[in-house]
Amino acid sequence: MSLLEMKNITKTFFGKCANQGVNLTVGHSEIHALLGENGAGKTTLMNILYGIYQADGGEVFLDREPILITSPKVAIAHRIGMVHQHFTLVPTLTVSENITLGLKSPGYPFVNRRFLDDKIRTLSQRYGLEVDPTALVSTLSVGQQQRVEIMKLLYREAELLILDEPTAVLTPQEVQSFFTVLRRLRSEGHSVIIITHHIEEVLAITDCVTVLRNGCNAGDVETSRTSKEELSMLMIGRKLQREQRQAFVCPQNRTGLVVTDVALKDGRMGPVSLSIGPGKIFGIAGVDGNGQKELAELILGIRKSQGGSVSLDDVSLDQLCIQKRKDLGIGYISDDRLADSLVIDMGLMENMLLKLHSKKSVKRYGLLDWKALQVHTEQAVQEYQIKTSSLSCPVRLLSGGNQQKLILAREMEGNPRLVVACQPTRGLDIGASEAVHKILLALRSEGCSVLLISADLEEILELSDDIAVMHGGSIMDVIPNRDVDLTYVGLLMAGAKPRGEL
Amino acid sequence: MEVTTLAAASAFLAAVVRMATPIALAGLGETISEKSGVINIGVEAIMLSGAFFSFIGVFTTGSILIGLLCGMAGGVAVSMVHALLSIRCKADQTISGLALNFLFLGLTSFLFLMEFGKSTTLPSIPVIRAMRIPILSRIPLIGEALFHQDPFVYTMLALVLILWILFYKTEWGVILHAVGENPRSADTVGIRVNRVRYLACAANGVLGGLGGTYLAMVKLGFFMENLTSGKGYIALVAVILGRRNPVGVLCAALVIGAAEALQIRLQTMGTAIPSQAFTMLPYLVTIVVLFFSIGKRNDPSALGVPYERDKR
Amino acid sequence: MKMSVQVFVSFLLTAAVVLAVSFLLILMVGSSIPLSVTSFMRGIVGSWYAFSEVLVRATPLILAGLGVSVGFRTGFLNIGAEGQLYMGAIAITALGVYAPNLPAPFMILLAIVLGFLAGGLWSVIPGILKARFGLSEVINTIMLNYIAINLVGILVRTLLKDPSYPYPMSPMLPASASLFPLLPPTRLHAGILIALATAGGIHSLMFHTSAGFRMRAVGVNKRASLCAGISVTRNIVLSSLISGGLAGVAGVCEVAGLHHRLIEGISPSYGYLAIIVALLGGNRPLRIVFSAIGIAALQVGSMSMQRGAGVPTSIASIIMGLLVVMILARKQLFRCKGV
Repeated sequence: MSLLEMKNITKTFFGKCANQGVNLTVGHSEIHALLGENGAGKTTLMNILYGIYQADGGEVFLDREPILITSPKVAIAHRIGMVHQHFTLVPTLTVSENITLGLKSPGYPFVNRRFLDDKIRTLSQRYGLEVDPTALVSTLSVGQQQRVEIMKLLYREAELLILDEPTAVLTPQEVQSFFTVLRRLRSEGHSVIIITHHIEEVLAITDCVTVLRNGCNAGDVETSRTSKEELSMLMIGRKLQREQRQAFVCPQNRTGLVVTDVALKDGRMGPVSLSIGPGKIFGIAGVDGNGQKELAELILGIRKSQGGSVSLDDVSLDQLCIQKRKDLGIGYISDDRLADSLVIDMGLMENMLLKLHSKKSVKRYGLLDWKALQVHTEQAVQEYQIKTSSLSCPVRLLSGGNQQKLILAREMEGNPRLVVACQPTRGLDIGASEAVHKILLALRSEGCSVLLISADLEEILELSDDIAVMHGGSIMDVIPNRDVDLTYVGLLMAGAKPRGEL
Repeated sequence: MEVTTLAAASAFLAAVVRMATPIALAGLGETISEKSGVINIGVEAIMLSGAFFSFIGVFTTGSILIGLLCGMAGGVAVSMVHALLSIRCKADQTISGLALNFLFLGLTSFLFLMEFGKSTTLPSIPVIRAMRIPILSRIPLIGEALFHQDPFVYTMLALVLILWILFYKTEWGVILHAVGENPRSADTVGIRVNRVRYLACAANGVLGGLGGTYLAMVKLGFFMENLTSGKGYIALVAVILGRRNPVGVLCAALVIGAAEALQIRLQTMGTAIPSQAFTMLPYLVTIVVLFFSIGKRNDPSALGVPYERDKR
Repeated sequence: MKMSVQVFVSFLLTAAVVLAVSFLLILMVGSSIPLSVTSFMRGIVGSWYAFSEVLVRATPLILAGLGVSVGFRTGFLNIGAEGQLYMGAIAITALGVYAPNLPAPFMILLAIVLGFLAGGLWSVIPGILKARFGLSEVINTIMLNYIAINLVGILVRTLLKDPSYPYPMSPMLPASASLFPLLPPTRLHAGILIALATAGGIHSLMFHTSAGFRMRAVGVNKRASLCAGISVTRNIVLSSLISGGLAGVAGVCEVAGLHHRLIEGISPSYGYLAIIVALLGGNRPLRIVFSAIGIAALQVGSMSMQRGAGVPTSIASIIMGLLVVMILARKQLFRCKGV
């Protein structure tokens, strides 16, 4: 008898179908993967199971009983728990307060914190999840926070746990500890659904896999009976094409980007040194949160460096403000486009203005020349094939891929000499990702230096000439792409000492 | 000489506590609201409404209890309108508060003139007297200030303690904090974020209404247009200065009360300096102290932000 | 401006509710609706004088409303227009009292500049506190209001006092420090022309210059503006300066065009009304002109309604507060999707 059965689930958002007649069956004591690309409908399906959304059609059965989950509270009552990709912990509360949040402990409404702390310690020992109940969540590492999230569910006696992209923020070594925890959960009688798009992990730890594609079921297989190729076929619908990289690039008489000993004042990042010649893509691999974004922001001038220097083609950038650095020919693709790169309530033209506002080309007698800006924007829309209903349509209504293309169009303007791209394909579907990769490679062949920062190792391997690994705010090692060894890279990402230092 | 100085100081402290009471009451209410994530600039309207309706209540029925209940109801009426606008309609909370200030300033004035516009004498109600607590009120210096006051002061002091326990020693306090800091986290464990916020706003109305009631029923014994004249805004300052901690808000209210009491004392002493210089004192003090809060901000992260569960 | 039928109807219903409440209040106070309405209308369009009074009242509302809207666009909630207005009034009075012999066109121009700077200073302090230290400008600007009002009280009793009268007020300002009347015997003065010109100027600034775009971008997304090289600090400070400056000019116009001296209470909450004006005008300069005239009409009309029908003037406050509340609630109340 299966633990969970979701039958024929359908959900539509603003006319876009996120789930179409999806079926899912999960047994007892089972680790089940929900596999699919970004936008396949996995998180939507689980949000429906957890009561955050209500399905437009279909039914859910728990132990053969039909149930209606109208809110997370109801889901929790049915012993279903979910850990989201973005943690739902309150940073200013302690671990213990977060775990017991909203529960009626003995003595309610008064709280015997010490009693609860002990209870948590006992529970954490049972599952091998080490947590300090009295620590403030803001002081914990990401891996530790994840453990707290899982503890939250176990404390509420969840039988079925849903984990959304749990390994996205872990190092390869932390992933191994995480797998141990999963196995422990399974042996204690829990079932786990893992939402993921990493085929390797699916093969490593799960019992069964349900593959979703474009909101529909693409396949249901037992892990032991399937292969990487089959899963990849189900997930994408076609075989992965490795983008052909050009072997040669015409060398230019420029020095490119030279970064020497830059560091953040609080010591969280640095000292870091690197150099990128013209026509080269320098990829920085590493789990998100190891100083990569800070490094990018230092180069752009968004953050100030404590010591060290940054120069582009022998021109020192240290004293220059962000605007002047960009004027020298630097483009920036941020990993958080909605926060960092777009004014989403304004139209496409105004978003182009974000880069052009000080340029003479859009001004006439000191006032803005909207006609010239319109022409500019139309060119960009055509060249990068941005799908939009009109130029004044609020950017908020564009899809993620089109938003990213708009940002690229804007930042590529004026033949930049350096482009810093941070997680450029995050949240994009396969088609948009390929378009972005093509653009980055085109920049490379035009002689631009590209600093590519990505948590997606495959992307780094595909595009970079040199690969660096960042951990704990420093560059662990730099390896040319042809010499790369994945195990070594994984160890570096976890903080192991580079070869030269052993 | 020493005895009179002690007596004068004791009387001064007692005055400080009295001045601080309406501000502390309103400030405590606003603290609850802001901790849950809803900021209400319309505390002025809450207090004014509380003052007006409590006055009407006592004037028409002669019962203090009815007056109290009317005052609290008046405050809640304002705060619940604000709650609906802020939570349900997701309106800008600053604009909403300002609009309510206009609305209730006009409404209380209009209704008052409607009832009493024709009379030549100022309608008044009997003022609530102070109650002396035996033995404790004989403590030198602070005895008068803390134990020879009207019931509102005692209530206010008790509320400081009660709210402190509530915020830091109960699960309700943790829930309130979570709702204002990270409503999504609270939602995912099944807490009804908006329900908590509505309750917080109601509490704000009750306490702010009590603050206004104090002005009408204890301090003045009458009502007039714009009775509160800025006390609501000062309560907002007390909340910020007190870092949304009940004890802190009390301390801030005492500082402000001291400035006000000082202003009155200096005025009666009679100097060539215009009284406006002293009226300015509390506001200057608050700006100076606000300077000191630079770098130590700890606003609840979700303050002023309506919660939407389906936000993609 | 395209609008669906549903949205249009919701606006009508909003107006209808406000009107209904007004009529109810009129009846409650024992007056009659026809009499009140005719008194109201007579007060605003019954004669040239009546209409000129509306424009006189609208002048400071337009200027202060423009100021508030510039702040709003950048995310700077300027609740201190009242105090900034008084600072502008102080500036022109000080100029008139201590430098009374400056030649005519120069005097008034200098007064406007000084008024702008005085109001701007009053606003730039909370602006800097917000831009550099992240302190909320809402409370700061409110506090500065009270300080400015009390400052006026002190000055008209001391430094700016007219020695020949025992009352707290400044001497009459010289004729060179006044705005010429446009339509005697009405009180309409050149200030309205300044206000209208400023509306055009602000429109160009905000929507046709890079500087205006930068301020608007900061208001929509601080972080993205920063990453795009736009200085958030500089733009918030600039916006607060212009915001307060315009309110200061409103103060100058009131003194130079209407009162010709500084007394307490020259502003019947113009600064706070300006916020409603800006809100109703959707923070667009040209619409603000109309909403200012509308609010001014409400004020003037309600005074006439009191004289003619015995309805207390506080009804105007009720109507304004209710109007804003209804607008905030409109989408929920009348179930409109989108707009």
